[in-house]
Amino acid sequence: MNEELKNIWRAFFNWVMGNGPRPENEVIPPEPPPDLPFTQKPHDKYTRFHEATLKERYNQWLEIHGLHIFAILYTGLSVLTCIVIVSLLLATVAELPPFGHERNPANNEVIRRYVEHGGHETGAQNIVAGLILDYRAFDTFGESAVLFTAAVSVLMLLGASRRNKTDTHSLPSSNAMDAYSIHAPPMRHHTFRKDDVILRAVASLSIPVILMMGCVVVINGHLSPGGGFSGGAILSTALILCANAYGFERVHEFFNERTFIVSSSTALMIYALSKGYSFFTGANHIHSVIPKGTIGNILSGGLILPLNICVGLIVAGTLYGFYALFSEGDM
Amino acid sequence: MIRVIIAGVLMLGGLFVLSVATVGIFRFSTMLNRIHVAAKCDTLGALLMLSGLMVLSGWNVFSLKLALVIVFMWLCNPAASHLVARAEVETNPALEQICDFVDLTKENNHDSN
Repeated sequence: MNEELKNIWRAFFNWVMGNGPRPENEVIPPEPPPDLPFTQKPHDKYTRFHEATLKERYNQWLEIHGLHIFAILYTGLSVLTCIVIVSLLLATVAELPPFGHERNPANNEVIRRYVEHGGHETGAQNIVAGLILDYRAFDTFGESAVLFTAAVSVLMLLGASRRNKTDTHSLPSSNAMDAYSIHAPPMRHHTFRKDDVILRAVASLSIPVILMMGCVVVINGHLSPGGGFSGGAILSTALILCANAYGFERVHEFFNERTFIVSSSTALMIYALSKGYSFFTGANHIHSVIPKGTIGNILSGGLILPLNICVGLIVAGTLYGFYALFSEGDM
Repeated sequence: MIRVIIAGVLMLGGLFVLSVATVGIFRFSTMLNRIHVAAKCDTLGALLMLSGLMVLSGWNVFSLKLALVIVFMWLCNPAASHLVARAEVETNPALEQICDFVDLTKENNHDSN
C-alpha cells in the first residue's frame, strides 16, 4: 500500500515537473487488423488470443480502442459541461427582473447619484472617467488584467515555437505545399521590404504628433473624453507605424519583451495597490490621504490620473505586442 | 455673398471629383486601377470639400481644425494608397496577365547589371 502511494506520488511529481512521457516519444498504436469474415479468420491467432493472459488482452484492447474511447469520453464530458453552464446561465436569465420595469436596478438612484455627485465625489470633470476608474475601478482592473494575460499567453505560445525554431526545420517544402493546393489559386509570396522612402518620410512626420496625441488623451482622461484605453491604443499605433517604417529592430531598441513585461506588471501592481488602498479606506470609512484636487485642474481627480497612465501603458504594450507577435513571431 | 459663391464652387468641384471617383471604383476591374481612382477621391475630393467648408466658416478655430484634417489626409492617404499598391505588386504573382505594368525596379537592376 505504501509502495503504491509512493509510485502515485512519484508519477504526480513527474507530471508536475514536466518529466513525464513526452508526446513525441509516445507510441502510436498500430492500425487494427481488418475484420475478416469468421470463416477466413486465421486459426492460430484466434487461439493465441484466448491463451493470452488477461492483462495482455487488456493492453491489446487498449491499444486498439483506447483513443476511440478517450475521444468519446472527451466529447461527452465537454457536451455535459456546456449543458450545465448553459442551463445555469439560462436559470440566471430567468431570475432577472422584467425588462423595462420601473423598479429595476438600472432605474434606481445610481444614475442620479453618478450625475449629481460624480464630480464632487471623484474630483473628475469627465464623469465617465470617474465612473470607470473610481466607482467601478475594480472592473477596469479586471479588463487590464485580461489584456495583459492574453498578451502574455500569446507571448508564451509563440515564444515557445520561436525557441524550437532553431532545431526543427521540418516545415513542408514548397513542392509538398503545391501538391496539396493544386486547385487553389497560386499562393501569394510575401517578402517584407523595409526600404520604403515614402512611408519613412510620412512616419517621421507623423510619429511625434501621434505620440503627443496619445499622451494628451491619456493625461487628460479625467478632464475630457479619452482615457487609458483610447490613449493607449493611439500610442500603440505610433509604435506599429515605427515598426513598419523602420523595421522591428528599431522598436526593439527601446521596447522589447522585457520592457513590456516589466512596465505592464508594474502598472498592474500600482493599480492593484492604490485602488486596493482606496477601496479599503472607503469601505471602512477611514479618511483617505489622497487629495481630490479642484475639478478642472490637470492634477485633480485623486487616483484617476495615475490609473489612466497605468491602463494606457498596458494597452499600448499589449496592442503593439499582438501586432509584433503575429507578424514577426517576436517582440 | 462672394464667400458663399466661392464655397459653392469649391464644394461642387469636390462633389464632382468624388462622384467621378465613385463611378471609377465600380468601372475599373483590377486592383491597381481601383486604387488609382480611390486615392484621387480621398485626396482631391476631400481637399475641395473641406476647403469649401473652410471658406464658409471664415477665420476661426473650426477652420484651423479643418486645415489640420486636410494636412493629415494629404500626408497619410497617398502613403496608405502607395503601400496598398506596393503590397499588391509584390504579392500578386499573376499581375502581368491582369494589367500592363512596368517594373521599374527590375529594369534598374537590369541596367546596372
